[in-house]
Formats: sequence, structure tokens, C-alpha cells
Amino acid sequence: MIDIRHLDACYGESRVLNDVSLSVGDGEIVALVGRNGVGKTTTLKSIMGLVKTPAGSIKLGDTELIELEPYERARLGIGYVPQGRDIFPQMTVEENLMLGLEARTEESTDLDAVLNDLYELFPIVKKFLPRKGGDLSGGQQQQLAIARALISEPRLLILDEPTEGIQPSIIQEIGAAIKKINKTRGISILIVEQYLDFVLSISEKYYVMDKGQIVMDGLVSEADPAAIQAKMMVS
Amino acid sequence: MDVSLFAVAFNGVSLASILLLAAVGLSVTFGLMGIINMAHGEFIMIGAYTAYVVQGLLLKSIGDVYYFVALIASFFVAAAFGLVLEQLVIKRLYGRETDSLLATWGVSLVMQQLARSIFGAPNVNVVAPSFLNGGITLLGATISFKRLFIIALVGVTLFFVWALFYRTRYGRRMRACIQNREMAQCLGIRSDRIDSTTFALGSGLAGIAGCALTLLGSIGPSLGQNYIVDTFMVVVLGGVGKIIGAVAGAFIIGLSSTGLEFLTTASIAKAAVLFLVILFLQKKPQGLFVIRSRSLD
Repeated sequence: MIDIRHLDACYGESRVLNDVSLSVGDGEIVALVGRNGVGKTTTLKSIMGLVKTPAGSIKLGDTELIELEPYERARLGIGYVPQGRDIFPQMTVEENLMLGLEARTEESTDLDAVLNDLYELFPIVKKFLPRKGGDLSGGQQQQLAIARALISEPRLLILDEPTEGIQPSIIQEIGAAIKKINKTRGISILIVEQYLDFVLSISEKYYVMDKGQIVMDGLVSEADPAAIQAKMMVS
Repeated sequence: MDVSLFAVAFNGVSLASILLLAAVGLSVTFGLMGIINMAHGEFIMIGAYTAYVVQGLLLKSIGDVYYFVALIASFFVAAAFGLVLEQLVIKRLYGRETDSLLATWGVSLVMQQLARSIFGAPNVNVVAPSFLNGGITLLGATISFKRLFIIALVGVTLFFVWALFYRTRYGRRMRACIQNREMAQCLGIRSDRIDSTTFALGSGLAGIAGCALTLLGSIGPSLGQNYIVDTFMVVVLGGVGKIIGAVAGAFIIGLSSTGLEFLTTASIAKAAVLFLVILFLQKKPQGLFVIRSRSLD
């Protein structure tokens, strides 16, 4: 699905990612974990084209993304849920949701069916349609942001710390929703997360990052959580 | 005393409506792109001269109807100039407030000189359509049809702008870009296109304001300059990026300008209004209506 090879990324003069390679297969859920500030969010921003990537390759299927603008990448089928959700605060929930349609390229599919699916997945979104996005709680915004990313029926969903600042019961709901999206629609998912137990419980593959590099990777079924945790400790 | 107060209030509303038309474009382009456009007044001037040209071409053949052609033409001509300016200059200055201020000031001088070269330095007159001559007397004050027409024109135009911003897909995209440009891009919105069209739209609205101004007096190359300061005050006072802010700001500036002018003199009124705006901004530096936007933080 997405294949990142030897990627470097920069903020101004300072290099944040150094020779990062990772891949998400078709229909896979992949976790990217690591301490604060090691480059996880930057990796996701690189995929969206929001940071400078002077070297390396990012392929979505057979399409090279590295030179493309963020809006082109979105339209190729990448749904992005950033850290902090980035719901448009002054717009209604419905408007936020409809903005997700900007990336939709196939008009052939039935929008009502897509919407009904989403409302079933996140009933809270339907309930609050006329409210301002900024008035929603963190967990509600998270659900809206995922729904907004899904409405364009992307091939790849990218989630940046979906559990951050969200109460445990909602975290379980979101986890279940992520698994369901992946199972029923076969959407590939890449999740950045600090909450290790949560993310390992839903993913198949994992990568551990430190200081802008991938330092460990493998299948979750064969993984030793303690070893991953050790890599995430401040050394 | 009551009678003259009514006249003052009417003139205030009339001034406010023109400022409003000019300010909406300025407010939205600043909110969207972080551009301080000193050349915005020149789009008023372009609109006014467009009316002058259209009058020259059509007054003889179609009579008073020419004015409606002129209104539409002034929108499109000013919008076209706006589009060219955006592509040539503004595009390269996004998010650089001070640079944009200097560059657009230069553009403003060039455009004024251009008008001087084409139309000459002396002011020219546009003949108002005959059906707008005269007025009605209400509460002892004369309400001119021209000013009434301008108020109605602004009302209709603003309704269209409101509908465009809040009821169309383009408007939704534009508001998304104002509130969070990066996220809007990540949803598949071409923000550069939104910038160009919005800048052109704002310029076109200023053009309509210019066309309206031809009803009230003669026009010259520096027409825009007389209005740009007041227009900026409207934007700063009302808060950036929202129509409602521009409406509130325009009425406050328009009414207080004419009110103070009535009580004192024209120049003292200008100084007093500026002073009041400065005082107000000490209390609320972001204006009356605050829009949360990362690009403006």
C-alpha cells in the first residue's frame, strides 16, 4: 500500500528524519511507536507532504508521492487525522464532515451509504451535526476527525496519537472502530501512538523510532512488549 | 437638533456602507493569506474609472441603463486586476505581513501613476443616472436617492457575498483555509486556487464600491487613498476574516466619523476617530470579532 524508502525530512536546516524506511501492506494495521520528539509525527507529515523531504521515496501503490502537493496526496487516497485532530472550530460538525469530501475522487459510490456507515460507526457525529466543531469534547472531535478522513473512502488512513487526551472508555470505542474499518473495508492503517498496550492490541506490525531513525521492527504476534518498552525509555 | 441628528445618522450609514464593501475584501484576504494589501484602495479607483469609461462608451446609446452595466463591469475589471496582482506579486508574499505591506504600497503608487497617465491628473465626473437625482424629505432632512441606492446596493451585494461564503462549496473551502490552511490542504483542498479567487473577489467588491462612489462626487487617481485608511480601521476594529466584523466595524467608523464631523470639523473628526480606535485596540487588540486561526497567531 505505502512504501517509504530511505526518507530524510527537515525543518529548516535541522534534519529530523534520517534514512527512514517503513511500509504498510494492503489491509494491514501498522503501529509506529517511540518517545516524544523522535520523529513519529514528522514521518506522518512527510507522507502528507507537510515537511521538506530532500531525499528518499514515498510510494502509494505505484505512484511516487515525494514531489506532490498535500492536496494531491489526499486525493490519491490518504486520509489524515493529525495530532490534536484539527477540527475546524468555527464550522459545524456537518461542514467539517463535508470538507472530507474534497478528497473524494470517485463519485460513483453512493454517498448516503457511506454516510450511514459512518453514522453507525460514530453515532455521536450524527447526533451533533449542527453543533460547532469547537464545542465538541476531545473524544468527540477525534471521532469526527476519523469520520472526516473516512468519508472520502481513502485507501490508507493515517492516525496521529488517536488516544491523546481522551478518556479510557472512548479509547476502547475508537480502538474497536479502527479495527472495524480495517476489517470491513480493507483500509490500510498507520497509527502513531505512545499508548503501547492500546496500539499493540490492534496492530499487526510495529516500528519503533528513536532519534529520527527506525531502531526496531517486526510482527506484533512475535513481539516482546517489554523490549519495545525498553526502546521507548529515555536512555 | 433632532432633525439634523437624523441627517447625520443617514450620512453615517451611507459612508459605512461604502466602507463595508471595501472592507470585506480586505478583511478576508488578510484573514486568508496574511497579506496587508495597501493597494486595495486602488481597486476602488479602478472600479470608479471603469464606470467612467463605460459611461463614455454607452451613455449616448443606452442612456441611464449604462450605470448597471458599469456596476457589473467595475466588479469584473477590478477582479481581473486583482487576479493579475495576485499572480504576479501577492502569491510570493504569503504570510509575510511587513513585506506585503511595502510591496503593495509600491504597487499602489504604480497604479495611481498609471491612472494619471491614462486619464490625466484632474478629477473627472461620472454623470449619475437621472432617476437617482433628487431625494425625499424625511423628518426635515433630505435623503438623496443616490445614497439610498448605494445603501441598497451594498445590502444586495453583501447578501450575495454572505451566501457565497456560507452556503456554497467554495465558501466552505475558503473558511476552512482561513481557519486551518494546513489541514484544509490535507483534506484535498487546493488552497492556492482559493487564494487567487478570493483575492479577485475582494478586489471586485472594492471595484463595486468605486463605482458607487462615482455617484457622490468626482473621481481622481488618488480616490482609493482617501478611503484606504478608513477601510483598514474598519478591518482592525471589526476583527479579521469575518463578514459580521466588517459590518460592525464599518458602522462604528462610519457613524462616528460623520457624527464627530458634525460636532467638530472634518480634520478633528478624523483624528478623533483614529484616537478612539487606538484606545479600543488597547482593550481588545484582536478586534470585535475574533476568529481563531493558526496563520494569524
